[in-house]
Amino acid sequence: MRGKNKLLVALAGQPNVGKSTVFNILTGLSQHVGNWPGKTVEKKEGFFISGDTEIKIVDLPGTYSLTAFSEEERVARDFVIKEQPGVIILITNAAALERSLYLLSELLLLGSPVVLGLNMIDVAQEQGIQIDVEALKNFLGIPVVPLVATKNKGLKELISGAVSLVKGELSYNLSLPRVSPDHKEVFDDLLEKVKEHIPQSYPVHWVVTKLMEGDPEVLDMLKKFLPAEKWEKVESLLLKHEDSQLAIVAGRYDWIEDAIRASVSQFKRGQILLTDRLDQVLTRPVFGIPILLGILGIVFVLTYGLGSPLQGLLEWLINSFARWIDPFLYSASAWIRGIIIDGIIGGAGTVLTFLPILLIFFAAMAFLEDVGYMARAAFVMDRFMHIIGLHGKSFLPIFLGFGCNVPAVLGARIIESERAKILTILLTPFVPCTARLAVLALVAAAVFGSSGAIVSWSLVALNILALGIAGMLVSRFFLKGQKMPFIMELPLYHRPNPKTICVVVWNRLKAFIKRAGTVILGFSVFIWIISNIPGATIEESLLGWMGLLIEPLGEPLGLDWKMIVALLGSFVAKENTIAMLGVLYGVGEEGLRNVLPNVMSHASALSFLVVMMLFIPCAATVAVMKQEIGSWKWFLFSFVLMFIVSFGSGLVAYRLALLLGI
Amino acid sequence: MNIDLLPLIALREGEEGLIHFISGGYGLISRLASMGIAPGTQVTVLRNSGGPLLLLTNGTRIAIGKGQSSKIMVCKLKIKKETKPNEGKK
Ligand SMILES: Nc1nc2c(ncn2[C@@H]2O[C@H](COP(=O)(O)OP(=O)(O)OP(=O)(O)O)[C@@H](O)[C@H]2O)c(=O)[nH]1
Ligand SMILES: [Mg+2]
Repeated sequence: MRGKNKLLVALAGQPNVGKSTVFNILTGLSQHVGNWPGKTVEKKEGFFISGDTEIKIVDLPGTYSLTAFSEEERVARDFVIKEQPGVIILITNAAALERSLYLLSELLLLGSPVVLGLNMIDVAQEQGIQIDVEALKNFLGIPVVPLVATKNKGLKELISGAVSLVKGELSYNLSLPRVSPDHKEVFDDLLEKVKEHIPQSYPVHWVVTKLMEGDPEVLDMLKKFLPAEKWEKVESLLLKHEDSQLAIVAGRYDWIEDAIRASVSQFKRGQILLTDRLDQVLTRPVFGIPILLGILGIVFVLTYGLGSPLQGLLEWLINSFARWIDPFLYSASAWIRGIIIDGIIGGAGTVLTFLPILLIFFAAMAFLEDVGYMARAAFVMDRFMHIIGLHGKSFLPIFLGFGCNVPAVLGARIIESERAKILTILLTPFVPCTARLAVLALVAAAVFGSSGAIVSWSLVALNILALGIAGMLVSRFFLKGQKMPFIMELPLYHRPNPKTICVVVWNRLKAFIKRAGTVILGFSVFIWIISNIPGATIEESLLGWMGLLIEPLGEPLGLDWKMIVALLGSFVAKENTIAMLGVLYGVGEEGLRNVLPNVMSHASALSFLVVMMLFIPCAATVAVMKQEIGSWKWFLFSFVLMFIVSFGSGLVAYRLALLLGI
Repeated sequence: MNIDLLPLIALREGEEGLIHFISGGYGLISRLASMGIAPGTQVTVLRNSGGPLLLLTNGTRIAIGKGQSSKIMVCKLKIKKETKPNEGKK
């Protein structure tokens, strides 16, 4: 057999139309899927084989158009222009075809062949929208394949369509949108002037269209490539026809209207009714805001009410295991016994007991995402977000932060203005992620017993308060700027899809277990070792000596050096805090719950938790923060901010606790 | 025919408008156009209670800030009680 053909396929489309769903099925990978626009913000590649062709497929962020209005749109646009994929598969939402075709009208000019995947046919049918696929195909002149991605319907045909198109087996004769007739002359004129100066990789028609639209990047490019006198002519021509952007838009709208008239008929309304009814309540501030708070409350109560007892049970199991295995280890050296009982079981093992808490929390989040509630929450939160210098859209990444800060920082790409994006990223670490929440729940329950829940709630509230105050101050004094646009689509609600939810939860849990089994395990063992050499007790160990050095740092906050080491260890991963406490206090067989109350006073524990909740985020978050913020200035600013806030709050909490005799 | 142009933000909940023009930069106009909001399209205001507006256009629900919605000029359409044109028969 001869070598396989290779093909590069780009999955493009407007946000929330099902690109990642298609990608996951084809490649077996697990991109984030949910029902709100803007989940995929980075391009992601995968491979699969179809017949004799090896396909590299790239899942692109959703883009409404190719204008690069925000960061994730730029990713998609640059990919299509620079990489020139063999085929672009454009996924569209059949239930909102008009809007979806807008992107097609731009994409067709770029030269790569396009296959149209008409997704969400099921939703369209529920709404009584009938699409005549043949007619649409004839009008557009490109292959059109109906899909129901969630039910894996039509994907085979989609891929074989793409492959045959490349092989030249399918007909492909484009009907392109034209500029509206009154501007035809200007268009031709511009075309004549610029066509010989455009770099090879850019299709001429696309450049002229973008020029008339006023795309800043294309303007810059032409300014660079055109000889000065020609550029002047082009500029004056554009100035004379200020309305040319509208002419381009109107041309596209006419073309879309023709396509729709040729292929779509609608006769009844279905699912929309449900959406309208729910939105009546959920987007109205008087109801929407209390409901949002209620939902968040329920999520936390469920997580801790159900999760904490389960966690206690797991902890008991793990400790029993330690007790059971202990006699077998007596014959082995004290080292091996120490590493296994106190290092591995007491450290990484304790962290694994978080599993039920994470499971419940992730499931609740995935549910809210999948039914389509997220965008509504962002909508009603808009007015509060203004107080901290942001608007509703920033709520989406910030909310993701409760799961994990890393995707939250990345998710800030959907924010259009640079200033708001940086501010969103600066505030993200104030959102306590599940790892921190789990540490909080465990330590609070251990030390404060029945008041543990109140302590946990207050500290979560404290974090949100700190977020608010930091946002207010930073936006007033450091990151000042003008108002930024707020435009966001609210998707239709749909029934939760158990499979989607399970996949999301499973992926997150897998990542957690992997972290516990690698980084945290390694760290636990490492810490056990340096706390046992050279002397036999922790006070005479390497770590103990270092502890003496840092002890004064924690003095005013009531933290002993072990707590400080645990806090510093949280930089590796937040769960590590527990692993370190487990190892340092040697809890192996008794369990943290039984040991902590004897070694931490209430005031110290409170101060410890406050600092932990507000401390510098974990290394993974810090890395993406640097990557996304770009400038060192703001990055360091954020570091200093978190440091001051966490230690300052810890100090105040400790002094207050002593004063009040807690 | 004389038409009264209003900023979109002046429409109350449930009212419909036909978009006349949008005064804004390149970015705003093209983003709106790509979401189905451009001169000549018809929008229904679903929510306008102090915060951002919620619009319905061609089956798509779009939230839009107060600032942007005061840059969109519309002419108010008479609300008809019978079915809307794009729904055909019931
Ligand atoms: N009913 C129905 N829902 C679908 C279909 N395809 C995808 N969905 C749902 O649509 C939502 C969006 O799917 P995604 O795959 O995350 O969309 P995306 O295009 O990658 O979105 P972004 O990354 O945000 O641009 C999810 O809730 C999917 O379960 C379909 O054919 N029918
Ligand atoms: Mg996606």
